[in-house]
Amino acid sequence: MPPVFEADKVEFSYGPLNVLNGLTLAVNQSEIFGILGANGAGKTTLMRLLIGLQQPSSGSVRVFGEPPSSRVTGRIGYMPQLSALYQELSARQNVDFFARMYGLSRSAERREAVDQAIEWVALTERQKDPLTRLSGGMRQRVSLAIALVHKPDLLVLDEPTVGLDPELRASFWEHFRNMAAAGTTIIISSHTMDDATHCHRLAFIQEGRVVALGSPADLRAATGSSDATLEDAFLHFIRQGGPS
Amino acid sequence: MTIDRTLAIASRIINQIARDHRSLALIIVAPVIVMSLVGFSFADQQPILDQIAPGLIGAFVLFFVFILTGVSFLRERSQGTLERLLTTPVGRADILAGYLLGFLPFAGIQALVILLYTIFALRIEYEGYLWQIFVLLVVVTIMAVNLGIFISTFAGNEFQVVQFIPVILLPQIFLSGAVLPFEQLPGYFQAVGRFLPLTYVVDGLKAIMLQGETLWGIGLEIAVLGGFAIGLLVLAAITLRRP
Repeated sequence: MPPVFEADKVEFSYGPLNVLNGLTLAVNQSEIFGILGANGAGKTTLMRLLIGLQQPSSGSVRVFGEPPSSRVTGRIGYMPQLSALYQELSARQNVDFFARMYGLSRSAERREAVDQAIEWVALTERQKDPLTRLSGGMRQRVSLAIALVHKPDLLVLDEPTVGLDPELRASFWEHFRNMAAAGTTIIISSHTMDDATHCHRLAFIQEGRVVALGSPADLRAATGSSDATLEDAFLHFIRQGGPS
Repeated sequence: MTIDRTLAIASRIINQIARDHRSLALIIVAPVIVMSLVGFSFADQQPILDQIAPGLIGAFVLFFVFILTGVSFLRERSQGTLERLLTTPVGRADILAGYLLGFLPFAGIQALVILLYTIFALRIEYEGYLWQIFVLLVVVTIMAVNLGIFISTFAGNEFQVVQFIPVILLPQIFLSGAVLPFEQLPGYFQAVGRFLPLTYVVDGLKAIMLQGETLWGIGLEIAVLGGFAIGLLVLAAITLRRP
């Protein structure tokens, strides 16, 4: 089976600033794949290329075997780093609007999908509140509900657990694992090791390159220390600037 | 293009603006205040006011609708909601048609307030049919919505949208015949004025309001304004994805 997402020698720059420098990686179906790196390492840019918001200056990006386009975006659920919601509308109106954008035009089908997505992010009680009355964490959850409402085959989450309390974060990860088990591929960017431990595979990226790739256990083992944590492994590879 | 997506975008915009009561009030109050000031300024010079009223109506409709659309669309860009919309399967045509339909009721109400207030509160003498004047203003409104969407591409914030007023709108007000009769402008200004949409708005409004012309009699002006509206729509579609 071909990879769900494939980046091959991808380069991208904002003016004179090179953000991605020949980045190569592939993500398989049903994987929870974590992209870890410091601020400015290129995580968000990689996600923007994946979703088709930007084009690589060289190299190729393929999603479901083809370059990102409106033909494949309907199969992707994307949660950007900034929640990007309509502040004047309620949580439910936001989710409902994006459900229509994803093509859920029949009202009965859409109502059910919106109910489910809102329940999933535990906002049923507050769904009619305008966003201005919701906390930052709750808005993150609305944003996540939008990414999930059309039951995508690929979920792309840019730092989704920022602002969530530990209990909710644990509940989210349980849902993500269930989704992956059911066949959904999840690509998640983060800079917290707590998120990293939940991923099947990880890519540590630095200055737009993959410096280490593997399962959390493999990456810990690659440090050569039997009691190394994932944070130790991350620092090990980042300081080294490449695989050992 | 899908009707459901277009209607969803339009109804979402209507819902958003309708919930913002202060903006809603300003859409009506702001043109009334401005036109009242114009009325007070020409209190003892009614014949002059009658002559310049068509130009002022056209210029103010273009001005207010441009501001309304430009700022609203810029907010979509700066809050990231437009970009998020572009990550869904929605097409550019859906987005632009949705925005046009969503802004049109408010822009249309604003145009109607300007027109009716100028004619009835400032007691302007006019020829022609009122509904035909409004039809022409609807064409102007559609063009101004597209202009606002297109220009918002080049502004980084609301302050910059306002900076476009002296660049985009003021030259049109002076070179279109809205203030001074077009024939009295120097030849080189007339040559420039022929490329500006407001010139055709003012020509059309003057023809109806001062000479009693019908819509069919100002077919050329309507065709040119329609061309500007389509051209701006195409430019807005091309630049929609600009980060």
